[in-house]
Amino acid sequence: MNPTTVRTPTTVRLANIHKSFGRQEVLRGIDLEARDGDVISIIGSSGSGKSTLLRCIPFLEIPDQGEVTVGDETIVLTGAGHRFSRAERQKIRRLRGQIGFVFQSFNLWPHMTALQNVMEVPLHVQGRPRAECREEAEAMLAKVGLADKRDAWPAHLSGGQQQRVAIARALASRPRALLFDEPTSALDPELVGEVLRVIRALAEEGRTMLIVTHEMAFAREVSSHAIYLHEGRIEEAGPPQQVFLDPVSERCRRFVRGQAGPVD
Amino acid sequence: MGEAFTLLGFGPEGWGHALLTAGLTTLAVSACAFACGLVLGTLCAWAKIAGPPVLRRAADIYGVVLRGIPDLLVIYLFYFGGRQIVTAIANQFGHTGPVEISGFVAGSLAIGLISGAAQAEVLRGAFHAIPPGTLEAARVTGMRRWTMFRRIIAPQALRTALPGLGNQWQSVIKESALVSVTGLVETLRAVSVAANSTELPFLFFLAGGAIYLAITTVSGLVFRIAEWRAMRGQPAMRVGG
Ligand SMILES: Nc1ncnc2c1ncn2[C@@H]1O[C@H](COP(=O)(O)OP(=O)(O)OP(=O)(O)O)[C@@H](O)[C@H]1O
Ligand SMILES: [Mg+2]
Repeated sequence: MNPTTVRTPTTVRLANIHKSFGRQEVLRGIDLEARDGDVISIIGSSGSGKSTLLRCIPFLEIPDQGEVTVGDETIVLTGAGHRFSRAERQKIRRLRGQIGFVFQSFNLWPHMTALQNVMEVPLHVQGRPRAECREEAEAMLAKVGLADKRDAWPAHLSGGQQQRVAIARALASRPRALLFDEPTSALDPELVGEVLRVIRALAEEGRTMLIVTHEMAFAREVSSHAIYLHEGRIEEAGPPQQVFLDPVSERCRRFVRGQAGPVD
Repeated sequence: MGEAFTLLGFGPEGWGHALLTAGLTTLAVSACAFACGLVLGTLCAWAKIAGPPVLRRAADIYGVVLRGIPDLLVIYLFYFGGRQIVTAIANQFGHTGPVEISGFVAGSLAIGLISGAAQAEVLRGAFHAIPPGTLEAARVTGMRRWTMFRRIIAPQALRTALPGLGNQWQSVIKESALVSVTGLVETLRAVSVAANSTELPFLFFLAGGAIYLAITTVSGLVFRIAEWRAMRGQPAMRVGG
């Protein structure tokens, strides 16, 4: 980011995030800031804490310590087993309302059609008018190339199509930031491309995104920043050219070399 | 043969009206019992899944106790035991003499209590069959708990629970015959009375069987249709897919 330009507002910020599962400390002091329009890719070997980090943002995992900010909502944690007050729980709900989360395993609601999945949150959580929700949901499905599948049940869609519906669903709540946890890892190789294309288009629109991925070439191309995580710490962070091609950390260098695979 | 038609018909000599009313009473008492059972079963399933330890334990004990005692005894307990307690309370407030309680109400509650234990298990199983990721996907949007229950959990769980609930409905209909001990004129009671006064037990008990069979068959069909509707678009439909 160019320091001479006016700094865009912060969308997501993590400060000194710690998280343990039992005695295993999975996150050991994570600081991270995503400004409006940033696309941050998060890489690292299996078990390094990538998913946990991403899931701490909407409190799918509750950090033990640190500070989570999304938009204007900040929640401060003071230790494991923190009991949230009523006001804090409301705050967490508002914070969640400002992000869209895309899971590795899609997690569409199987009893709703594609369109119903996309309309659900605007209609039943945000309480927006039905006609508006429907119109916007249809537009989102069209954006991910699935206008013709609006009435299809999730079980009748391919993995790639399900994931694109899931992306449309995340977009429909008008989030400030989109979080992707390995969005293509559960897909057959021939279906990965269609999902990456959608994510790339979102990056080009200037969406703020955090993407955990093993797709190195893709990450290098779409992201504005990259983070390499190792044993719960950020070991390397910087512009993608640095992290993917010329990292300072020797471990990161070995990791990106090992992951590179055939050039596509 | 002609005599049988007259006896079962709706003429002045016939028992048709009495049997029809009795059949409807069976249906009504079963519906009330099933509804009680569903409410109780839902509460117990919730207690077992997410309730505080005390309630979880209570729900477990409730299940064990009702599995272990005869259904007829539960009805006696509610009807005769209930009458005794209500009378005692009424006498405290200056009322004299015994107080009658409704066989319909006591019977529905008793069978509801019995069915509730079984329905709790059906619903609990159905809840655990929900893919957890779909709940997480709801939670992450900031959806409130009640909305989540209404929009995400209940529809998915009910779909899985329908066959089990259908079985429960069938057993409730059959158990409703036990309520005849309270004097409620439901199907079994009505055919017994008719059998006694006409001295034609074979004919009237056969007619009773036919009434139960008609109720279970038709309602079984309703459940089948509901299951079919609920399964639209579900993976089970993609045979070999
Ligand atoms: N709910 C949990 N309970 C206990 N341990 C957990 C839990 N979630 C994650 N862990 C542990 O925390 C560590 C980090 O897990 P995490 O899923 O964040 O890794 P990851 O970087 O996303 O790995 P992958 O690339 O395999 O997805 C792992 O050792 C994992 O076993
Ligand atoms: Mg992971």
